[in-house]
Amino acid sequence: MNQVSLIPVKGVQMTRYIIRRLLQAIPLLLIVSLILFLLLYSIADPLTMMGGRNPTRPEDRARLARQLGLDKPIMMQYVYWLIGNDWEMIDVSGDGEPDTYGRRKGILRGDFGVSIVTRGKPALDIIWERVPNTLLLMIPAQIVILVFGLIVGIYSALRQYSWVDNSITTLSFVGFSMPIFLIALLSIYLFSVLFQRWGLPSLPPNGMFDPQVGKTTSQVLKHMILPIFAIAFIDVARYSRYIRSSMLEVMSQDYIRTAKAKGLRRVYIIAVHAMRNASLPIVTLIGLDLPFLLAGAVVTERIFAWPGMGRLFLDHLDRSDGAVVMGIVILLAIAVILSQILTDIAYALLDPRIRYD
Amino acid sequence: MATHKKLPLLLGIALLLILALVACGTDTAAPTTPTEVPVDAPPVDTPADTPAAPPVDAPRKVATFIWTQEFDSLNPMYTSMWFSSITQQIWNAAAWHFDVDNNPNPVLVTQIPDLENGGLSADGRSITLNLRDDIRWSDGTPITSADFLFTYEMTMSPNNIVNSTYPYSLIQSIEAPDARTVVTTFEEPFIPWMATMWTYILPEHVLRPVYEAEGTLDTAAWNLAPTVSAGPYVFAEWESGSFTRFVRNDNYYGTPAKIDEIFFRFVPDDAAQVASLRTGAGDLGTFISQADIPTLEGAGVEVFAVVSGYDEGWYMYFGEEAHPALADKNVRQAIALCFDRFALNRDLLLGLTEPAVTFWDNTPYANPNLEAWPYDPDRGRALLENAGWIDTTGNGIRDKDGVELILVHGTTTRAIRQDTQAVAQQQLGECGIRLETLSYSASIFFQSYGNGGPLPTGELDIAQWSATESFPDPDTPRWLCAEIPGDEYPDGNNDQKICDEELDSLFRRQATQIDFEERQQTFWRIGEIMLDNVYWLGIWQDLDTWAVSSRMENVNISGANPFYSIAEWDIRQ
Repeated sequence: MNQVSLIPVKGVQMTRYIIRRLLQAIPLLLIVSLILFLLLYSIADPLTMMGGRNPTRPEDRARLARQLGLDKPIMMQYVYWLIGNDWEMIDVSGDGEPDTYGRRKGILRGDFGVSIVTRGKPALDIIWERVPNTLLLMIPAQIVILVFGLIVGIYSALRQYSWVDNSITTLSFVGFSMPIFLIALLSIYLFSVLFQRWGLPSLPPNGMFDPQVGKTTSQVLKHMILPIFAIAFIDVARYSRYIRSSMLEVMSQDYIRTAKAKGLRRVYIIAVHAMRNASLPIVTLIGLDLPFLLAGAVVTERIFAWPGMGRLFLDHLDRSDGAVVMGIVILLAIAVILSQILTDIAYALLDPRIRYD
Repeated sequence: MATHKKLPLLLGIALLLILALVACGTDTAAPTTPTEVPVDAPPVDTPADTPAAPPVDAPRKVATFIWTQEFDSLNPMYTSMWFSSITQQIWNAAAWHFDVDNNPNPVLVTQIPDLENGGLSADGRSITLNLRDDIRWSDGTPITSADFLFTYEMTMSPNNIVNSTYPYSLIQSIEAPDARTVVTTFEEPFIPWMATMWTYILPEHVLRPVYEAEGTLDTAAWNLAPTVSAGPYVFAEWESGSFTRFVRNDNYYGTPAKIDEIFFRFVPDDAAQVASLRTGAGDLGTFISQADIPTLEGAGVEVFAVVSGYDEGWYMYFGEEAHPALADKNVRQAIALCFDRFALNRDLLLGLTEPAVTFWDNTPYANPNLEAWPYDPDRGRALLENAGWIDTTGNGIRDKDGVELILVHGTTTRAIRQDTQAVAQQQLGECGIRLETLSYSASIFFQSYGNGGPLPTGELDIAQWSATESFPDPDTPRWLCAEIPGDEYPDGNNDQKICDEELDSLFRRQATQIDFEERQQTFWRIGEIMLDNVYWLGIWQDLDTWAVSSRMENVNISGANPFYSIAEWDIRQ
């Protein structure tokens, strides 16, 4: 068979596969959105806390429920969230008679709704403000995790059962077992509080930059160190264990021994022959972690006051701001679906034996 | 060099690079020597001098306040959030404010309206404001009665989804005979007007065009970035999730502010706030927990408590679903006698506060002749015995007519409240009362009857939380018979479902009493009834605890208006 003609065939198969997956995602997203919407609006009451330090006054509660559409049955609220209410007359004046058309277009037309907390501000605007901050933190964190995970995992595999390997294994288990909030708080206490007390150069305990200095590159970089350290501490341990295990399996294969027998350099054997075959599990890990680039590290952002998506989610969930919370979870659901598709594509590229029919 | 020898070297180089990056521009100021400051006394003020013109090259005075909640909006109509509302005192203006002794002082008005100066009508329905003639917005536009009318109009507009229309919804008419006069008339005498009205104003010349163009102020950019201010500071910028900055209003009609810039940094929780204050990254913080006070004082931060009208208490339930024991005053008194609230305040709250006697402690409306129920478990047990609650089964729980004395106590998930539950459970157990404890998130705990809130629906026999109404005004609808929630009135305020005829009559009377002394006497009698019947059992006076760095001067904080004197605050250079 002509080898060249196989390539377009595989490309067509891949395209069909992607289209099929995307089409399957539509009902999946609808089901996810419905479940989350029902959960959110069944257990939370955004009106209760709108009174500030005191519960919302009864007369205000009734008015706000009407104005925000929260007096409608929950399924009707879901429909409005999905397709909007600009096709229906609503009661704005409060006299019981519908007098004007609604202003919402619904998420299917790109309207994520308006925040209850930051009244009047579109939920999508609020979310997009934080996306760059999250990516700024999570992408470098992921790179650090990958690089150090690879280094540590490969080194540990190549020095199996040495004192270095055993030390790394122990530290990995310790790191993997520690909750991230403990690491985050300890790092603040050590590098911010104690270092300053001892007169040593200290790291800032929270925030993205010092407002009095301004949002400069050095400021942001300095404020990134502790959160990235906290995020990476656990995941480097996780990645290194997977990589070590995968490398050990690959290094014992016949083709590796053949490559060694052929006199190829060790670095070449590891980088070309071993890594490629050991990378599939790593691709799985990365694929599973990709959505978290967008979701942010909720606990880490909270502790370090990093103004990212994770913290935004918690702040608005705390106040039952459905528009923002639903917007975030829908974006994350889309990110999960897309990352799974990307992972499948990566599989196919790395391993020519994999086909999608 | 072999690969295995390169790795430690590479890691070491990486570590050195990190340290070098940190060293660039890092503040390594040595920690200050801790000073002892009484926790319950405000800091010593230095007299407010007329500010001299600062030298041309004087360093800018910049203060950083640490807020554990980010603003939701800077338009006062769209927020009831405390952290946002009190910031209005920095850049917006009220008709008057309350000082550290909770006395009203005129700000935008020439004098506080009262019966003598004719600002308050004899029937208590009309309030006349006479505005100063030198007040202006930061862009130089005069502040006039038109701004007050506009504020009312926007608050009441059905096109604006405002947080609360109270108390403007009670106004019958509002007029501006001239640019310096505002006359407000209520349908009924509205006694708490001073504590609830004109706490902010909106700039008509800026926002009316927006309203006319958009049909609403909901989406106005001004809500998040006010372009004009009426206070000692003006808004400068808001970095979402990070900080908000205010700078001195050089066009301010009052005493120019001494501090050039104020940052509000948003941190996620109390631990981050404490860390910021300890390291000097913040100059002021609030709602400091008792456990953090010694740490902050050790770092040289001054900590003091301010009366803001809040008192933590137990609210007894009297609805149909209530435990039959609670209908007996003797049982309620026994609960008060069996619970050592004094030790609780001493041990859990470090002695920084004491049990509240009435709902109005630390105000002139608290009856000075009343004392908190003492800790006397023997007397409590005797009361229970006399009431017929005896442990007939020998299981340690009293019973009567086959019903065991098991009460359900609920509160929010705050740690101090859960600790209180644990202590109360043990102590009441020693009197033969079993306390079952539940805790809820705040958004569920405070839900109304209509939304299935645990107290108004009878899930709880006793609920614990801290509240005030319109401090420093004592008015509250909480114990009116007409406010009992039910299917026909699901949003009623009387969650405890108390209907005491004398109490109800007194609450209705105080709402019409213009004379301060008469009203005070009414509340003193209300306090007597509530204490004797243990309708509400005070647990502690819930003071607001503030932390201020030692470089701040002239800091006076009022419970009602914490930033009322912000223009006088200064920074020690």
